[in-house]
Amino acid sequence: MGKKRKHEEASEAPKEKTAPTRPQRTLMGWKEGEVEKKSDSPVFRNKEKVLVTCSRRITYRYRHLMLNVVSLLPHCKKDSKVESKESKGATLNELIELRNCSSCLFFECRKQKDLYLWMAKSPSGPSVKFLVNAVHTMEELKLTGNHLKGSRPILTFSTNFDKEPHWKLLKEIIVQIFGTPKDHRKAKPFHDHVFVFSIVDDHIWFRNYQISVPHNETDKVDRGGLDKMTLVEVGPRFCLNPIKIFGGSFGGPTLYENPFYVSPNQVRALEKRKKAGKYAKKVKAKTRRKMHEMSNPLEPDEFADMWKE
Amino acid sequence: MVAFKETEILLNGETMMADDVEDVDDEESESEPEEVALSEPAKNAVYNKEGLLEKLDDISWPENVEWIHKLTVDHDHDQEKEIDVNDDLARELAFYTQALDGTRQAFEKLQPMGIPFLRPPDYYAEMVKSDAHMLKIKGKLLVEKKKIEEAEERKKAREAKKIAKELQAQKAKERAKRKKEEIESVKKWRKQRQQNGFARGKGDEVDLAFDDFERTKKRRPGVAPGDRSGGFARKRGNEKGGKKREFRDAKFGHGGRKGMRKQNIAETTNDLRGFNDGDMSKNKRRKG
Repeated sequence: MGKKRKHEEASEAPKEKTAPTRPQRTLMGWKEGEVEKKSDSPVFRNKEKVLVTCSRRITYRYRHLMLNVVSLLPHCKKDSKVESKESKGATLNELIELRNCSSCLFFECRKQKDLYLWMAKSPSGPSVKFLVNAVHTMEELKLTGNHLKGSRPILTFSTNFDKEPHWKLLKEIIVQIFGTPKDHRKAKPFHDHVFVFSIVDDHIWFRNYQISVPHNETDKVDRGGLDKMTLVEVGPRFCLNPIKIFGGSFGGPTLYENPFYVSPNQVRALEKRKKAGKYAKKVKAKTRRKMHEMSNPLEPDEFADMWKE
Repeated sequence: MVAFKETEILLNGETMMADDVEDVDDEESESEPEEVALSEPAKNAVYNKEGLLEKLDDISWPENVEWIHKLTVDHDHDQEKEIDVNDDLARELAFYTQALDGTRQAFEKLQPMGIPFLRPPDYYAEMVKSDAHMLKIKGKLLVEKKKIEEAEERKKAREAKKIAKELQAQKAKERAKRKKEEIESVKKWRKQRQQNGFARGKGDEVDLAFDDFERTKKRRPGVAPGDRSGGFARKRGNEKGGKKREFRDAKFGHGGRKGMRKQNIAETTNDLRGFNDGDMSKNKRRKG
């Protein structure tokens, strides 16, 4: 098989002598010149492996979210908590290399209140930092669905993802990270759940639904069965607010910054400042009133002395 | 577009600009520096489109990878801007329709490939939520269902009661009316007879208004043959020694104790009605 490939390369080589000489890294390894994937040889194997870790001092809610994500992705490897903040980028890159993964989901919790999610592609890939809101884990009793652990999900995207380049990039990263590889050993055969990624108000909303069809003929679902298909939410649920997209993994040049992003610290500071203004305003109002009273003295009341003894 | 987004975000409350923090002395004018400040960092934000597209090319899988590897479906929202983020129901509905639509499309693509789509009911494997958890969920759902049903039942009972009361009131009215009519008819008949001189035999006029009596007798089954009150004494209800009392009343008229009649005449010798009930009633003075 390998020899066959090389032979094909040699036939294409004379054409591509003029092509840029830098070998391009593709999923199959290093190739000379720009070799397009052959549609004839079905050797494309999705060897995606995701490393899932979190920072220390993560709260229970976000830890459960991380565990839920781990159970949703059979092609992930869960690692222990990551310590330091400063050299975060380097440590994580090393960790990814060590565990032989090709991408990473890093849950970073700050001040035990805010959760940031990093999605990064390993060796030189772009990375994205998100702020996570509206977290509902799978353990909530209102999310009643259930599906096979390890079955391959169907990923649905809203068409807003094709409108702008940063959304396109995010879509690609999401597809590669959240899509279970086809022939993974932990993957189960059926497709019984759906992931929904949609962009509303510049946030990416994630939902996970179980596909349930009434049990008459589940093997051969005909048109009638298709219409009776219902979706039950399994969870988890979260909402991602993209902050920045970097060119490298956990670092590198900033390719995109979200202009409408306000850090939660700033939001809190603003609210506090609003409240702080209350007292100052009160004091000012008091002095103003006093000045006003002093400058406009009241006329002496003619009845003031009526009841005096 | 930018202005629209700004106002949406301000309504959200989630993203509030705080960049020009120095001039936050007056609270009234706070909204203005906020709106102004939003547009400025918007312009300063980095947006390297070429870089992004380059990276996209770097990481993306080759073009001719089969769809089965990706399993992505795109769904077109017809109305984009109408999804208000704060309207939970509309938002979730939009997600639901997106998922449903996506699944249908995926199914249509998968079916020709002959790939098993849905899980057969006899396939047992590890699920993402444990069985214990699912039992809890089931319990909760049942409890909720029960609550709803009980509330509905209570409502229905209340309404039924109301209706029943109305019906009862109507019935009572009708009964009173009928009684009045009957009495009137008897009076009329008497008058007529009086006018016609009492001489007639039982002719047609007797049947004047007496059908009602037949009917009403049927409706009062509790009238005993020994009852000489004409059936209207039913109102008495149940008292102690009810039969005895009834009998005595019927025999001697209402009121009057043992009656001033003779006790030992031909009719009363064989009349044993008073004796049977003597066993049932207790003698207070008897011991034990």
